[in-house]
Amino acid sequence: MNPLLLLRVHRGAAAVLALLALSASLLVAGLPRGFEATYDDALHGILDDTSANLTDLVIALRPRTADQDIPDEDGFRAKDRKWRTNLPPALTSVLDTSPGNDSHFAAKTFGTPVAGRVGPGERPLQYVDVGWLSGTEKRIRYVQGSPPGPPGVVARVPGHPELRDVKRFDIALVKSAAEKMGIPVGTTLMLGNSHTALGHVTGLFEPVAPSDRFWEHNLDAIKVTVRRTPSDVDETHITALTDESTLTQLSGVDRDLNYSWVVAVDSSAVTARNATSVIKSMADFQRFMSRENGKTITTLSQVAGFAPFELDTALVQILTDFLKRLATAQALLFLILCGLAVVAVGVIALAVQLLTERMGAALALARARGASVGQVVRAGAGTVALAAVPAILAGYGLSYLLPGPITPIVHVGPLLIAVVTTAFAAARVALVHRRPLQDRRDDVVARRSSPRRTMLELLVVVLALGGAYLLRSRGLATGVDAQGADPFLMLVPAALTVAAALMTLRCYPYPLRLVVWLAARARPAVPFVGLTLAARAKSVTALPVLILLPSLAVSVYGAVVGGTLDTTQRLAAWRATGADARVDREAELPADVIEKIRRVPGVRSVVRADKGTAQIGYGGRTATVLAVDLDAYRRIVSDAPLSVPRPAPEAAAPGIPALVSPDLANLDTFEIGWHVRMKITKRGLITGGLPGVSFTEKNLIVVPYDASKRAGSRTYTNTLLIEGDALDGAKLRAAAGNRRDILVSTFDESLRRVTDSPLTTTIKSSFVVVTIALAVYALLAVLIALVVGAAERSRALSYLRTLGLSERQAANLTVLEIAPLIVLTACAGLVLGLALPAALGPGLDLSAYAGDLAVRTYELSLTTPVLLAAGLAAVALAGAFLHAVIGRRRSLGSILRVGE
Amino acid sequence: MNELDTPTELDTPSLSELEAQAGHVRPAFGEDAHILCDNLVRIYKTEGVEVVALQGLDLLIEQGELIAIVGASGSGKSTLLNVLSGLDIPTAGVARVAGTDLLAMTAKDRLRYRREVVGFIWQQTARNLLPYLTARENVRLPMRLAGLRAPVARADELLELLGVAYCADRRPDQMSGGEQQRVAIAVALANSPEVILADEPTGELDTENSEQVFAALRQANRELGVTAVVVTHDALVSEQVDRTVGIRDGRTSSETLRRASAGGEIIAEEYAVLDRVGRLQLPRDFTNALDMERRVRLELERDHIGVWPDKPRPEDPQ
Repeated sequence: MNPLLLLRVHRGAAAVLALLALSASLLVAGLPRGFEATYDDALHGILDDTSANLTDLVIALRPRTADQDIPDEDGFRAKDRKWRTNLPPALTSVLDTSPGNDSHFAAKTFGTPVAGRVGPGERPLQYVDVGWLSGTEKRIRYVQGSPPGPPGVVARVPGHPELRDVKRFDIALVKSAAEKMGIPVGTTLMLGNSHTALGHVTGLFEPVAPSDRFWEHNLDAIKVTVRRTPSDVDETHITALTDESTLTQLSGVDRDLNYSWVVAVDSSAVTARNATSVIKSMADFQRFMSRENGKTITTLSQVAGFAPFELDTALVQILTDFLKRLATAQALLFLILCGLAVVAVGVIALAVQLLTERMGAALALARARGASVGQVVRAGAGTVALAAVPAILAGYGLSYLLPGPITPIVHVGPLLIAVVTTAFAAARVALVHRRPLQDRRDDVVARRSSPRRTMLELLVVVLALGGAYLLRSRGLATGVDAQGADPFLMLVPAALTVAAALMTLRCYPYPLRLVVWLAARARPAVPFVGLTLAARAKSVTALPVLILLPSLAVSVYGAVVGGTLDTTQRLAAWRATGADARVDREAELPADVIEKIRRVPGVRSVVRADKGTAQIGYGGRTATVLAVDLDAYRRIVSDAPLSVPRPAPEAAAPGIPALVSPDLANLDTFEIGWHVRMKITKRGLITGGLPGVSFTEKNLIVVPYDASKRAGSRTYTNTLLIEGDALDGAKLRAAAGNRRDILVSTFDESLRRVTDSPLTTTIKSSFVVVTIALAVYALLAVLIALVVGAAERSRALSYLRTLGLSERQAANLTVLEIAPLIVLTACAGLVLGLALPAALGPGLDLSAYAGDLAVRTYELSLTTPVLLAAGLAAVALAGAFLHAVIGRRRSLGSILRVGE
Repeated sequence: MNELDTPTELDTPSLSELEAQAGHVRPAFGEDAHILCDNLVRIYKTEGVEVVALQGLDLLIEQGELIAIVGASGSGKSTLLNVLSGLDIPTAGVARVAGTDLLAMTAKDRLRYRREVVGFIWQQTARNLLPYLTARENVRLPMRLAGLRAPVARADELLELLGVAYCADRRPDQMSGGEQQRVAIAVALANSPEVILADEPTGELDTENSEQVFAALRQANRELGVTAVVVTHDALVSEQVDRTVGIRDGRTSSETLRRASAGGEIIAEEYAVLDRVGRLQLPRDFTNALDMERRVRLELERDHIGVWPDKPRPEDPQ
């Protein structure tokens, strides 16, 4: 038996198998790559958006004793070498070693006050730190004066007789700082109130590329920091650059000094896969640093002035946060990928069944003529392998055209498909041709399953339900962030699917019997015959059920998760904004601004509110007071998922009716001191705060908008709640005069912020892709299942046609025969898909994707799932109808051969 | 009391004769038969329902014999053939072909048996041959499956013997039904089996083709000395073999022997089969004609046994 010959003869079925194998291999190898690529994109997006001083490794030392001073660049370089050689390999691999990377060393004083100037032009509250940065030559250009020279000593300072033999540093300032702080070239500053040194400004510079990540570590050198002191005056801070030779004069003993070694991390080298090892290595490196610090203490005096080297980076925190997000995405995507793989393998198994069925006669003849089981299996499985393996290899090869990193699953997936396909073929051929007799007499009665099988099925169902219960009660294993997804999470849906499939197969005849009973009483023969065939048909095999069920379950699950995510994201956005748009200001909003905002296109109505903190009684207790017309507010958010309580009923004057938070419930009437003192009468409770307007849930008092007026003052407005269509945040900001103290937020912006979070799009689009793929597979499953039984069915139909069945009736019969299976499986799949979120609920934390709003209950909006199930069922039935219509072209004579 | 109790006129063996008989080792039933079925039972069991296809069938076939097995549809002919070809395992009884006990075979023995001892031909012409192989390749297939060298010459020789040498390079769809069946016989003979079994080999053929196929079978039987068992409905076939065994309800019921008379014409004599425990099936026509039901009376005569309906005999005194 030559498999090649068999392959040539059954090329149609083999082509179907090859095509399915190719697509499955491509999906299984390609999708994970795509997923990994998006994970990496997300991570790189996060890292690139984060300042370099958070993502790079910064080793800092605050020298306190003279022996810790580093006098020159070589001293820094030696330490840098030490750090780098002792970095764990996982960290070394993510370091940025490209030319022009932002690794550098720095020595900077901090909090160095300008005690005065030598000469005129003194200004108060200025701080000029002296710093040396390695590698500044290429990063700055001097626009005035000259670079700083070596330090010196000044014997006497004019006007300051107390200063003798003071150190003098040459310094250069960034031009903008010099202008802002009024320090022109030639100025000599007296730095430090004690150990005063002179800073002589020799030049002004500008950064060559201010956006260079190098400057993210040294913003203090290119930008003046203005700090408002409690006494309401501004301090200005800048770091002036100095020459390397000054290092000899900069000592931690004299002033507060920081040394730092910046080891640049290449954000593109950090991936979703090595993030875990980077985190672990960081801990290792931290331990190394601790050991090193321990070694430096050799004398008692060092203990007193102990200054450790400290590793300062937020990379671990960033990566840990990312991995937490990633774990959920991975679990979800792995789940749907598994579903897809199961369905793909199921459809391949059906195609294998088709091919082996086609080869069946030849193999049976060979077996009868003296072929051993081994020979038959070799021929059958060999043919299947010949059809499938090259296609799987092709799919595997094609997957390399897709972008994304290569993970083990890229190799394992196609290999697994090849093994499963060949093994299934071998097992099937071996089982069918175990005995050489062709004419089996299992047509005599329907086969009844053995008690052993019943027990096994029962066991699977019990295990699946037990697993789901455990998952619900226990949640996921700890350490998921570090170790990836919990395998248990993957097993439970699989077990539930198998259990549901078994139950469907078992219970399938019962509803059908009722329908058959009804059909038997009706006049038309086609429904009765069709349904009876369906009830008895051998085509009701496990395979189509096992394919349709998970494909529906995964699709429905995707729809439910997607829908829930959507709703929660919208809710999060509503809660962030409180209305279509909101305008806030600490102080009162000017009337003209309010008027301008009112006239912005799209604004329909504006509800004014006033929010502030008020003193309760005369004690120290304060509360947030919100003055707003709740009725008006409720009207503008009537279509939003926000609940706004009814306003407090009127109270007897002069009491102002108020809703108070439960913690204030024991106060019936009390006074508050706000714009004016007013008497508050509690007329109701407000629980859960007013999301979007007031974020506090405690110490909250909601009064009518005109409360201040009633109390004898006037109305105030510092918050506007806006209702409108297609509100443009930019226009609103422009209407508010683009003032920094007026905050404008719109619902659309909030929603975008939530939905644009990394990986959210991946999850949603993956669900769509997989749902489409699953629908195609479901259609193929039905078609192949029909083709497998086509010969038998067309013979049965032909006999019926000799009895007067029309072609149209024959087509209907085929559809009716397969319809109960599809409809019942669709129902089971729908139920399973709806149950999965509940079963997996605690295992998957979607809050990272829903604006950090906990997703507690899943939205059971039935529309999409039901539409999906109905659509899939309709597609499958359309396939059946198509098959029947094509099948009827064959002539009766070619099917029914007299004498057979 | 009747005549049976008074065997006065029969040869009564003396005691010494009886002792001699007992001491003499009698050959076992069918000991030298090439195919032996003794009380063969085959029951198909599927949950709750049992179909007894063979219910104690006895059959003896000598080496090199060509016999036909006839019977109504469902009488168990095909089951018998499947048992003999090693494709089916009998439930009980004895079945031995060319010294191989068909009930005590392991799967390996069974495979060897099918490879070396039997060859068979089915009724459907299309089922005997692989449609995408030529006649020659089809003939070589069993040899290759058995792991033997499969010389082309041997295949051509067999095709030649069966008169279809010209079909060697044709595929089944390029041959007539008769040609296909003759190639099928060549396939069955490929591994030089001792027995060939044919299940209605002419069932789908017209008279002319049937004759050719049967002639080919007979030729194989005569020239190669192969024992041939043919299940048939075809009178043309059953009338041309030396012995025709009839099966009814899973038992051999009758045998027709044919011999050439002195004048050269064929004389066929139909016998009822007497099994080892003395059971006899009377032809239904006979029993109907004499209205025999439930009970008959037997009378042992000197050279025969009379079977009488359970009615008062006219000559008996009332």
